[in-house]
Amino acid sequence: MIKIKAKDVDVFYGKKQALYNISLDIEENQVTALIGPSGCGKSTFLRCLNRMNDVIDICNVKGEILINDFNINDKSCDVVRLREKIGMVFQKPNPFPKTLYENVSYGPTIHGMAQSKQEMDEIVETSLKKAALWEEVKDRLHEPGTGLSGGQQQRLCIARAISVRPEVILMDEPCSALDPIATAQIEELIDELKKEHTIIIVTHSMAQAARVSQNTGFFHLGHLIEHGPTDKIFKNPDNTKTQDYITGRFG
Amino acid sequence: MNKNKEQLLNKRYRAERRFRLYGQSAIFMALLFLTIFIFKIFSTGYTAFQKTWLIVPVNFDAEMMMIDQNPSKEDLQDADYYDIALKSMADLDQNANDDQKNQLKRMVSYFFEKEIKNEILNDPSLIGKTKEVYLTASDDLDQVFKGNYPRDLPEDQRRVSDYQLKIFDQLVAKGKVESKFNISFFTYADSREAELAGIASSFMGSIFSILVCLMIAFPVAVLAAIYLEEFAPKNRFTDFIEVNINNLAAVPSIVFGLLGLGVLLAIFHLPRSTPLVGGITLSLMTLPTIIIAARASLKAVPPSIREAALAMGASRMQTTMHHTVPLSMPGTLSGTIIGLAQALGETAPLILIGMVAFVNTIPGSPMDPAASLPVQIYIWAESAERGFVEKVSACIMVLLGFLIIMNLFAQIIRHKFEKKWS
Amino acid sequence: MAETQHTVKSYEEELKNLNSNIVKMGSACEEALGKAIVAITTRNADHAEEVIKDDEKIDKFESLIEQQVVNLIALRQPMAIDLRETVTALKMSSDLERIGDLAKNISKRSLLLNETLPKKLVDCLIRLSSSVQKQLKTTLDSYLERSASMAIDVWEGDEKIDDLTNECMQEVVKYLKETEKNLSDGTHLLFVTKNIERIGDHTTNVAEQIYFLVKGEYLEGDRPKGSEPIVTGEK
Repeated sequence: MIKIKAKDVDVFYGKKQALYNISLDIEENQVTALIGPSGCGKSTFLRCLNRMNDVIDICNVKGEILINDFNINDKSCDVVRLREKIGMVFQKPNPFPKTLYENVSYGPTIHGMAQSKQEMDEIVETSLKKAALWEEVKDRLHEPGTGLSGGQQQRLCIARAISVRPEVILMDEPCSALDPIATAQIEELIDELKKEHTIIIVTHSMAQAARVSQNTGFFHLGHLIEHGPTDKIFKNPDNTKTQDYITGRFG
Repeated sequence: MNKNKEQLLNKRYRAERRFRLYGQSAIFMALLFLTIFIFKIFSTGYTAFQKTWLIVPVNFDAEMMMIDQNPSKEDLQDADYYDIALKSMADLDQNANDDQKNQLKRMVSYFFEKEIKNEILNDPSLIGKTKEVYLTASDDLDQVFKGNYPRDLPEDQRRVSDYQLKIFDQLVAKGKVESKFNISFFTYADSREAELAGIASSFMGSIFSILVCLMIAFPVAVLAAIYLEEFAPKNRFTDFIEVNINNLAAVPSIVFGLLGLGVLLAIFHLPRSTPLVGGITLSLMTLPTIIIAARASLKAVPPSIREAALAMGASRMQTTMHHTVPLSMPGTLSGTIIGLAQALGETAPLILIGMVAFVNTIPGSPMDPAASLPVQIYIWAESAERGFVEKVSACIMVLLGFLIIMNLFAQIIRHKFEKKWS
Repeated sequence: MAETQHTVKSYEEELKNLNSNIVKMGSACEEALGKAIVAITTRNADHAEEVIKDDEKIDKFESLIEQQVVNLIALRQPMAIDLRETVTALKMSSDLERIGDLAKNISKRSLLLNETLPKKLVDCLIRLSSSVQKQLKTTLDSYLERSASMAIDVWEGDEKIDDLTNECMQEVVKYLKETEKNLSDGTHLLFVTKNIERIGDHTTNVAEQIYFLVKGEYLEGDRPKGSEPIVTGEK
């Protein structure tokens, strides 16, 4: 089933166009990887999906992005509600400089998702369990989140993102600052999470895209060059640019 | 080729050594000046914390005090102490003529009457008896006792006469001169007489000014900084405001004084010479400093934290209040302390709004006339009496102590915040 | 190979090296097959000895290519066309090695033949073998030129080989029936014929690999078959 449907999305930074005519369908409960060289617009596209580009004054998004058939670029779309439904995990682990508990409970608190302390405890516990972090931190929930290792911090950020039960999780190079073991843990986690969430991951590691995703989109210079099943892209891409990129023949 | 390389390498090492030397000598110079300054201040100022007392036997004669043997409290309040005070001083030399008696009287401060009165108010049973009472020595004798007075000057160039010195030396020989910690320096308001001058008025004046300044400047500046940094659109208008804030920080402080004079006093008719007006004027001056510091520390909050909060669905306001502002607080607070420290040391604008007036009462609220510490230093430094020289230094020491305490306070707050947020 | 060069030059070189080893191995097999055929048809013992000796070289190529492929996969993680190059090389080398073995077997048998063979039989063998040689050559050319159409030609040409094999088989059976002393030579010739046919099969396998290499997809459908061979029970 199609979860997100982008239609002719153009993005401008001031006068400079960053994305050209992107049309892309994203399947529900699957992992879609966006790959491409630096500056190709894949992160920009990702940030269109929860309208994080709003933060940048000069950024201008055109076109339709339908999530559950609702155009999020419409004026009637409330950004706060949208971001409740679409969680995001960033390149660098960015836990709040607060305790682990406060980190995970922040989202449910501002969205009023728990009526009592007990309910909140439950949300925190399930979120941390889903993020495969519970066993490691259950005894120090009230210590600062910044004291964890990089991989743990990133899983904390994932726990924070899933605490509000989003339908879609956007991941912007979530493993680029992590070691291979932590990366593997995150990748395993992504595999688990796709049962309940639709995941879109931007990654520089083609091997990672190949490992975690079912669909892959290749961006180059602001264009979506090719989009299709991951095995097809990595075994026999249609476009020579895609092939040149994934085989390391670029530039 | 190789030799050239070696030469070049040596040259580079030499340049590095030279550079280090420059740096070290710069630091040495700075330390040297600081040491000289502190040494100078302390060596001239520490004596101000001691006060010289003359121990004089006083006969509490009821008749001379024009009261009966068993006076009531009111009687004691209203009694005439001048005569017994005068007599006690005159009795120091049985053979003194009128002129000498006058000189004897001037060996103590004009508070001697009050000091004697206090003695009997504390113990009414002294009536009719004789008791040795501590009287504040005049500022010149105080300096003589502290060894700061040039005794070998010809008499006509001194304020202390040979006769006074003779009597004083006799008292010293008899052990009737004592030096004690100078409490009145901290508890008395300003006075024309050096031996009675204290910093209580200007200290309270400074505290009230700083409080007023803090209460106005801090919230206004922080709100302005938050708005400019987090909410305002980036356009020509906000750029213009930013440039002007930076310029404002560079405006000479006396201009703010003129503003205070012209607007606060002339238009709003706020009470002259008060810490209220002083504080408002200083807050205008501190405002840009705090805004700049607060903006810098807001900028220093990593954008990733903002993004994290926004991506969780926090509104801009929530992002700012829950995350950005608390994280920027240590920086903002230290900026505030720096601004306040500047304000604390400011003299020129306060002089313009009249806080330079001679105030011999201790202010009880920001609405009462008061001086401030730096203005007090300025007033005393202008005074001719030798007794004020050490007071200037002592006042500087108090001001420095004040600043050190403020900085310490800032450090403690900072430390506490940072512990919590990292 | 794609026209654009890899950013990592040593990777590019490793792939080129692998490629040229396949080509060398291929031409070694071609040579072995040619000599084996000459050995059997003209009864040239020297050629036979050479083929037997050179098979060792072909075996060495196979293990070298295998090592190179394992190294590439472990160290370079090839993707897309590079991945197909690598995997194809591995499979091609094992087919080529079998071709080498079969040529060696033919040569060995040529040394064991006693009698002069009837001309009709020799002609038939020559027709079969030259057609297999042509197949092998086309296959190797298609590899060099990355030509899917040439690979399809080979794939379709296998039908003809099967027919020729049957003809040869019938000739050999006829030869066997002639007299009892032909029994030993005839049996060898049966195997020789079968081996040539097997070489054709391996060649077709290689052609299939080349098609996958170029197109990224497998040749669909059954391989065209000629009439079933009558003597062997295989297939």
